[in-house]
Amino acid sequence: MSEELISKKDLLELAGISYGQIYRWKRKDLIPEEWFVRKSTFTGQETFFPKEKILERIEKIQTMKENLSLDELADMFSPNVANLNYSKDQLIRRNIVSTAVVDFYLEHEKGSLDFNFTRILEVFVLEKLLQSGEINLDEGKMVLQVLKDHGALIKQKSCELVITRKLGMSSCLLLINAEEFHFERGTKVVTALSLMKCMEEIKAKLL
Amino acid sequence: MELDCNGSGILYGNVISEKVKVNGNGRFRGNLEAQNLSIDGSARIDKNLTVEKIKISGKGMIGSRVKSEEIKIQGTFTVSEDCEAEIFIAESQFTIGGLLNADYIDIKMFGECKAKEVGGQTITVKQKGSSLVGNLLKSFYKPQLEAELIEGDKIELENTTAKIVRGNQVKIGPNCQIGLVEYTEEFLWIKRPLLLKTERFN
Repeated sequence: MSEELISKKDLLELAGISYGQIYRWKRKDLIPEEWFVRKSTFTGQETFFPKEKILERIEKIQTMKENLSLDELADMFSPNVANLNYSKDQLIRRNIVSTAVVDFYLEHEKGSLDFNFTRILEVFVLEKLLQSGEINLDEGKMVLQVLKDHGALIKQKSCELVITRKLGMSSCLLLINAEEFHFERGTKVVTALSLMKCMEEIKAKLL
Repeated sequence: MELDCNGSGILYGNVISEKVKVNGNGRFRGNLEAQNLSIDGSARIDKNLTVEKIKISGKGMIGSRVKSEEIKIQGTFTVSEDCEAEIFIAESQFTIGGLLNADYIDIKMFGECKAKEVGGQTITVKQKGSSLVGNLLKSFYKPQLEAELIEGDKIELENTTAKIVRGNQVKIGPNCQIGLVEYTEEFLWIKRPLLLKTERFN
């Protein structure tokens, strides 16, 4: 995940956008302030962006711009979701989880049928991993435990859930703001799931 | 909810209100959040100012950041950090410690104006002065807008000192000192400003 940077000038040209747009999106928090990286060049101080992230974000903005106002877009990208609350049935209806997975979740977590955003994220992650066949039910229990234990940290922006397997033994890690990770050869990385992306997917489905 | 300050007042802690009016002297030691802020006199907000519509006739000093939809200033405006708005209209003197980021920026200078950086869509900076007094003063005192960087789509500058100006359509008028202009569509200069370098990108 090493970051290649692109200068603001090159970005405008590459993405076909204008200064007015970039400053507007900055005001609306569609582009997080951390992505504006100041570096000294021979012309003075210049602004750079993480290339992959910003190009991806601009594409998303341009696609969704037709249907959503800038403020609604900002809600989509912001990690601020304190007020979401959905019932088990609503989540099934909205295609966020399947009945089988949400039942498995409730069996082990024994929580209520009302889901706040933290629990929606947990069950959504479970759904993704179980449905894709990447993990089995036991590994699912492990994922759930990691998410529950360290739930508070997920609110930070760059969180990745990594599942590894070696000699039949699985393990699960939650990486916070990690740039890269490398395991020894015998370990297989089953999946590396960006929780930020999951949050965006959930919000897109709920909108 | 309305907060009226007539005379002199100090508020400790954060204030959230619909309308805030300061006639006289107001000091807000924390953050101020409102839909409408009108200052006729002097107001100082120690932390962040988050108000949809700001109107200052007098003096406004903000210790942290300003986030607004519409800012109209006649007088003096000082912000320590960034100032963001959709519309920024100043007939005044101002000092912004960080970035002035607004879609529509219209500045008529009545005194030294400073911002670390200016960014937006339409940026117009003019020297105020079609009045008699203005014209008399003009010969002794030429207030400048000083910024390190000015970036926008359509930029029109007078009496501006900047290291770098970047835009699509850039017009540089009299009394400007610009280190470098980078434009993509059009570049116009009037009255030979002190300009060191221009570059076109397209």
